[in-house]
Amino acid sequence: MRPLLADGALTREWAWAGATGAGVDVAVVDSGIDAGHPMVGGVESAVAMSYDPEEEDGVRRVEGPHEDLFGHGTACAGIIRRVAPECRLHSIRVLGERLTGKGAVFAAGLEWAIERRFRVVNLSLSTGKEDYFGRFHELADRAYFAGVMLVCAVSNVPSPSYPSQYASVFSVAAHKRQDPFGFDYNPDPPVELGAPGIDVTVAWKGDGTIVSTGNSFAAPHVAGLIARLLSKHPELTPFQVKTVLHALADNARA
Amino acid sequence: MSEPAGEVLRDLARLLTGMGPALAPEGSEALLQSITEAARELFGAQACSLALLTVDQSELVFTTASGAGASDVVDLRMPAGQGIAGWVVMSEQPISVSDLQNDARFASDVAQSTGYVPRTILAVPVASPRRTLGVIEVLDRDTSRPGAEHDMRLLSLFADQAALAIENARAFADLGRSVLGAVAAAAPGTPLAAALTAAAEEAGEPDGDLLRLSALLGELDRLGPAERRLASSLVEALLSYVRGRGRRPS
Repeated sequence: MRPLLADGALTREWAWAGATGAGVDVAVVDSGIDAGHPMVGGVESAVAMSYDPEEEDGVRRVEGPHEDLFGHGTACAGIIRRVAPECRLHSIRVLGERLTGKGAVFAAGLEWAIERRFRVVNLSLSTGKEDYFGRFHELADRAYFAGVMLVCAVSNVPSPSYPSQYASVFSVAAHKRQDPFGFDYNPDPPVELGAPGIDVTVAWKGDGTIVSTGNSFAAPHVAGLIARLLSKHPELTPFQVKTVLHALADNARA
Repeated sequence: MSEPAGEVLRDLARLLTGMGPALAPEGSEALLQSITEAARELFGAQACSLALLTVDQSELVFTTASGAGASDVVDLRMPAGQGIAGWVVMSEQPISVSDLQNDARFASDVAQSTGYVPRTILAVPVASPRRTLGVIEVLDRDTSRPGAEHDMRLLSLFADQAALAIENARAFADLGRSVLGAVAAAAPGTPLAAALTAAAEEAGEPDGDLLRLSALLGELDRLGPAERRLASSLVEALLSYVRGRGRRPS
């Protein structure tokens, strides 16, 4: 087993100087990705999932290129690409034309990413349904032990939401600063990290951009940073990545 | 559970479901209206509206609105699988967009769905612990207010109030299943619970016309005795006409 560091303290130089995210698979579980958007620069793979009562588990999976139905998945992909320009993006579309079966489809999308060992999974969506507490908890544990980092936007509403509130995931809320490489550690969980998500210019449908605010844009900043870190240090486990982020947060480096 | 008892339970479920709206507390719609008005006032916004998912969860229908374009907005429908409002409902995440008019295609989407072209939109999900119900939107907040992230949290509190009001109203619209289901839940695993659950399932969807009639009865109950006597004589006159018509040879 290799030690976390050969020598000295954790530094940003050690963590990601010269890193680009190259060789790291990053999945965006969302509304799809417009692969041709100039801020996205292509995707490595794509699968569209939808509710289908005819299927054994109620979920239909269609591999191959797809469009982004809303624009949000493309926004997340654009942010990740900006922070980790050479990562391999994978689009897992789980939001579609109707809400029916969303919990099952969302869980299947997450499972798809874990089974393929995509190292980073961006989840800028959540569910508040108590029925899905156990299912998502089991998936979050599987991801953790498989070395898959789940980066979750906190829902910002007072009631519980999954999987962002589990201890094993990277839960992210928006902070006010705009530096795409800046992030904070929150000593008052369940939210663990803060990253840009307020008035950020993001990619959207139709090759355009919008200026938008939401924790859902903070999560992909952290997903991109983790991809950079892993491209230089692929052996890191989720708890080691959390240790590194804690040590290198803006508010820990006073 | 014997068959006659099962029959009684099924009748009870049907009766309760038919009576639900008459027993519902007054003012669910008024409460939702006041929630949108209070939110619009607090945020110094041009408009605030509430859109709810249809039964098949494929569309959003604007049920309540206040401010600019309000009268055009109510009853408008839009696919749940597109737009800012659709994404909020699907993802259960709040979002705000601040430069809508820079994006002509997007602005026209919003204009079609709201009858008013805003510069900014703030949208948060309306959900109970059991299900997602819809979305509440605030258009063009006062620009001197704190950032959208601050108002997102406030609007979420309004959304929680709306969710409670909607769930309460729906429990009365489906009173048969609600009551039998609640009693069954109190005696889990017993033959009684099984019979109650079966009867609740067989109660079926409430009949729209009867629900409307039941709601009117509830409204009458809140009026004076003179109105109630007048309504009774009108209904009696109608029934006697209908009965008479039924006896006539065809």
